[in-house]
Amino acid sequence: MKKTVHNPAVHNPILINPDTCVKCNLCDWICPGDLIYKEEDNRDTLPVIKYPDECWYCGLCQTICPTQAITVVFPDNMVHNKTDVATLLGKVVD
Amino acid sequence: MNKFNYLETDVLIVGGGVAGSMAAIPALEAGLKVVICEKGKVLDHCGSIGCGVDHYLTVMDTGPEWDTPEFLIRHVPELTDHIVDMAVASKVIHEMPRVFRKIEALGVDFKDRKTGDYYRLRSFGLPGTYHINFDGTDFKKHIGERVRKGKATVLMRTMVVQLLERDNRIYGAVAFNFRTGEWFTIRAKAVVLAAGDVNRLSKNASGMAFDSWHFPYNTGDAQAMGYRAGAVLANMESVEATLTPKGFSTQGLNALVSLGAYFVNKSGERFMFRYDKKGENARRAVLADAVINEYLLGNGPVYLDCRHLSQEMLDRMEYTLQVDRYTLPAFYKQKGVNFREELVEISVSELSIRRSGVYFRGSGLAVDTHGETSVIGLYAAGDCATVSGGIAGAAVLGHIAGEGLVHRVRATGTLPDIDAAAVEPVRAESMAHLKRDGDFGWRQLEDATRETVTDYVGVRRNDKGLRLALQTLHALAKREPELKADDLHGLMRVHEAKNIRLNAELMASASLARTETRTGSAHWRIDHPQPDEQHWRKFVLVSRGADGPQVETLGTDHAMADAFARNKTAAAA
Repeated sequence: MKKTVHNPAVHNPILINPDTCVKCNLCDWICPGDLIYKEEDNRDTLPVIKYPDECWYCGLCQTICPTQAITVVFPDNMVHNKTDVATLLGKVVD
Repeated sequence: MNKFNYLETDVLIVGGGVAGSMAAIPALEAGLKVVICEKGKVLDHCGSIGCGVDHYLTVMDTGPEWDTPEFLIRHVPELTDHIVDMAVASKVIHEMPRVFRKIEALGVDFKDRKTGDYYRLRSFGLPGTYHINFDGTDFKKHIGERVRKGKATVLMRTMVVQLLERDNRIYGAVAFNFRTGEWFTIRAKAVVLAAGDVNRLSKNASGMAFDSWHFPYNTGDAQAMGYRAGAVLANMESVEATLTPKGFSTQGLNALVSLGAYFVNKSGERFMFRYDKKGENARRAVLADAVINEYLLGNGPVYLDCRHLSQEMLDRMEYTLQVDRYTLPAFYKQKGVNFREELVEISVSELSIRRSGVYFRGSGLAVDTHGETSVIGLYAAGDCATVSGGIAGAAVLGHIAGEGLVHRVRATGTLPDIDAAAVEPVRAESMAHLKRDGDFGWRQLEDATRETVTDYVGVRRNDKGLRLALQTLHALAKREPELKADDLHGLMRVHEAKNIRLNAELMASASLARTETRTGSAHWRIDHPQPDEQHWRKFVLVSRGADGPQVETLGTDHAMADAFARNKTAAAA
């Protein structure tokens, strides 16, 4: 069975456009999973997606962003999933 | 140096979702001091899905017989396959109209924007059109606003890790802020646990642990803490799964089936009627069970079929789905699928411990008709409690707990002092994870837990598999002190991973005890494949024993509270 995907390098779900981001902290504030870290009171630094593999793909950061600088991108294993569903339904031990 | 910030309050609420916030409101109205600890940072979103709400289940008492509490209550035994605490379920249903009106008064508009009336739909096997379909984008904002106005103290990004209990009486808790590293001791006359369901518990199609149907950040913290403090849990053997577009565990099944979607197998057969005379309108547990069976029979893939629906219905569906999960349209777009015109392959989601696919049964901390658990002063509501389930269940039981605790708080004399030296080991043991090296982290513990649950405690259970799972889960528990945390955020995940493992152990223990099958794959024992009405009209109760989980049973003709030691003590006195 496929192992859980943990390597953060696998996929970054939250793309932030550095040209339009106003570095306001709202994405950090709203993220329910505590993944987005933005240095407070510093208008020079961009938010960092510190724990990308813990994203729920809820898009709350995208909805709250005042300049539409955020895009949520799904990884290939979600969009084009090939898992055999039967492998999720348990093993029978005799 | 004192390593703790000390707070004193009347009420501590763990979790600022619908249940926790609705518990806060009556407490604040009664003039009590309330502290809320919340792992997130806002009170404006639902604690189970982080977004708005697209439907709300309620009796409204508008006149017709089906809309009365009594009518729905009569159907509850059948809806729950007779595993239900009727005392608490009846109280919840009786309270539904009042709590619904109260939420309306907070500013939530349940009416359809076009017609100006309630748009009520039938789904999930319910005997009436009890689900109001509405644009609940701001549902929780209004509730959160009321809590803020009531001047509750809200500690954000703060995880409660241990309850303080003496002689079966709660008197506070220990918590830490995983952004600042501050530790708190909070003395409270009542504690409400409202931290939600158990996710990240088994594998799903994407193989991504945080791709779960409900919030992956709800990790059974309340159930684990309550258990450690001596509270009784019930129905932990019942699991819940849903049907999701393959690859994305998302909510939305209620909207799909209530608006008329079909499910078809690889032969194009609309198979649901083979499993239930209500077809796609059957209970969620039946829908999930049917799809599991179709896959096991080799009839997969299973598809969602909306092609027969009118444009108006499809428009409504498309709109509703994104209220519940904002990113679902983006998922379909990136996938290149138009669900209005094409079949969409679906999967069974990962499992969670929540409400077992039926309303009013609930899995988690057993509560009485005041929302109080078996531990005095400890309340529970929402997905972590029995009976409660879904948004309406969370709102109503939360409100019941909030009203129930007022009397308890007012009758409370002097609480034990919190001895900082005595609670220091809790902090020290936790912080020690930051100093560990090695390669055993929370991800490894969770991976092993999920693998075990998926293979042996999931939808196909038998005695041998469950015992094997318990062996593995016990062995993992022994390794927990080794867990390594890279930072404070990781330390929070370490606590979550331990809680998930403990919940898996409680689930496996309860599943082993229930030697029958109940509600299809919510509890499917392949070695006992039939429901046993003669012997198993019983609750399986789990509580902390001398050597791990202690399992008992209680006939469903009793209220669960009959098994609470505090009631036995009271009766003896």
